[in-house]
Amino acid sequence: MSDAAISVERPVAGRSLGQDAWLRLKRNRAAVASAIVLFLLAFAGIVGPYLTPHPYDRIYPHYVRTPASLEAYPKADTIEPSFRSALERARVEIGDVEVSGNVVRAPVSSTEPLDPRIVRYVDRSDMFSNARLEGEDGGELEAGATSGVMVADVHRVRFLFGTDANGRDLLARILIGIRISLAIGVLASAMSLLLGVSYGAVAGYLGGRTDNVMMRVVDILYSLPFIFFVILLVVFFGRSFVLIFIAIGCTEWLDMARIVRGQALTIKRQEYVQAAEALGVSDAGILRRHIIPNTLGPVVVFVTLLVPKAILLESLLSFLGLGVQEPLTSLGLLIAEGAANMRGAAWLLIYPAITLTTMLFALNFLGDGLRDALDPNDR
Amino acid sequence: MILYVLRRLASAIPTLFIIVTIAFFMIRLAPGGPFSLERPLDPLIMQNLERAYNFDKPLWQQYLIYLGNLAQGDLGPSFTRRDFSVGDLFRTGLPVSIQLGGIALSIALVVGVFLGALAALRQNSWVDYMVVGTATLGITVPTFVIAPLLSLFFGVMMGWLPAGGWGTWRHMVLPVATLALPQIAIIARLTRGATIETLRSNHIRTARAYGLPAHVVVGVHALRAAILPVVSYLGPTAAALLTGSVVVETIFGIPGIGRYFVQGALGRDYTLVMGTVVVIACFVIAFNLIVDILYAWLDPRVRFD
Repeated sequence: MSDAAISVERPVAGRSLGQDAWLRLKRNRAAVASAIVLFLLAFAGIVGPYLTPHPYDRIYPHYVRTPASLEAYPKADTIEPSFRSALERARVEIGDVEVSGNVVRAPVSSTEPLDPRIVRYVDRSDMFSNARLEGEDGGELEAGATSGVMVADVHRVRFLFGTDANGRDLLARILIGIRISLAIGVLASAMSLLLGVSYGAVAGYLGGRTDNVMMRVVDILYSLPFIFFVILLVVFFGRSFVLIFIAIGCTEWLDMARIVRGQALTIKRQEYVQAAEALGVSDAGILRRHIIPNTLGPVVVFVTLLVPKAILLESLLSFLGLGVQEPLTSLGLLIAEGAANMRGAAWLLIYPAITLTTMLFALNFLGDGLRDALDPNDR
Repeated sequence: MILYVLRRLASAIPTLFIIVTIAFFMIRLAPGGPFSLERPLDPLIMQNLERAYNFDKPLWQQYLIYLGNLAQGDLGPSFTRRDFSVGDLFRTGLPVSIQLGGIALSIALVVGVFLGALAALRQNSWVDYMVVGTATLGITVPTFVIAPLLSLFFGVMMGWLPAGGWGTWRHMVLPVATLALPQIAIIARLTRGATIETLRSNHIRTARAYGLPAHVVVGVHALRAAILPVVSYLGPTAAALLTGSVVVETIFGIPGIGRYFVQGALGRDYTLVMGTVVVIACFVIAFNLIVDILYAWLDPRVRFD
């Protein structure tokens, strides 16, 4: 009994509590699986965008709404017509197009000498690269020749998740979306943690009239609709990444302030706080050294459930067109685009939806697991 | 009781007044106006427009004019939807939103309470796990994921139901399902928790000791107490559902009023935003009152004061 009391009151000696929580958490299989999934998602969001062959904002005009496929594009049957249509713009006679492996070649001839600059017509296509004119015997094209062979390498690209309505790789965009969503979730939670804990601790510790005024302010802010607040912020400062997490952080700290205030009200009556007061420790010192560290238990539990909430809010804002701006993207924005394009391009909706759902599930299960592990009432 | 209701209704007026005041000055703080287009209007036209809508007067005068009109039930003209007054927009849109939200709410209430009570009675059985698992799913997956997925699967891929639009009952199935699913999940969770707690309480033990049949114990005595948290949850939820959901109305193309707030704020349609705020506030106040009355009726320990 006395051991438990000491470990609760002194966070430095609370290692046994932490170990206990850790053991409980490890026994919770859903929480452990969620932690692994989250780790993988975070890894994908942080490192993934550097590993994909396509930048998230690179547009491939020839690959608009390409279905997801494990095979590389272009598919064999599209190479010849694409090559022919690219060459037709050069206004030359085109012979039989021949595809061998990664090289495509076609004899070309014209009534005038061939201009070597016509290779640009081929290079301009996403499908071909390194186009060059060769002589009919395979050597260099002689200056002034009226016929030769157009040779180009087929540029093979893979779109594992397909491409969006602008011809951008969906996988790269989802990876960036994971990064943005997770970053906003963590930053917004950190912000509401900072605001809520300091505000609540001050209100609860000082008490009296100060507490009354401070909590009335919270009540008033609470009654304002969130969307209203965000729209106002957005029209004032324009849409940006920073603004989104500040807006979410600013609205989510209210619950935190209430929880911390309630904790602070009980903690300030404890003997050790009175002892500190008797020793002449300043209010700021007591807050920093005694009140805030001792409120952290329930706060940690609350924060873990705040992260998915923040991600959800960010996605909702992006879905409404108030979130991050193109070409940057987030999962909510991708889902909105997917919903607009779902006829004929269902993958645009399904992949981002699965990603967001997985992330939210993992965060919620981990949060529940942490709550079960850390909740002192549930021992 | 009647005195209590009257007193609550009277206290709603200052509340409404404060909300309207805050909203009025907040939306006016935002830069730009309803007539600031990408290509600026001719200054003379701008002047005339501003005079016609009283924008040339000081803000406090505009505020008083708005309050005066509001007191007479006039919400003013809409700036983004020309030729419509805000009142017209709500007269056509509100019935749609109320119909949709009302059906979703009733379904959610019936199904949610039933599932929750069932899970509580069969605690730790497979029924319980199924309900809790589905509830977690319903709470975690956001509406803006459920709505397009339902529309895609049933509307586009299977072709069983229209993917969007409004008119017949077939148009209502998917949006109602989207609105009801998360609410079913939350209500089932609340009911389950409260029922488990209530079944352990003294008055249930007494009822059992009297030898009342199980269905009376559960259906009358336990459920009456267990439904209390659901009732208090339903107050704000009902107001939110009946005033429309921007996500559901956008995805299914429903002509309700849920979209007006975001659209109005982005287009600086001052009167439309204010109208939405007033309507939502009225609904919230009304449902809070209904919930309090219901609460007192369900829980004899609560007295009107």
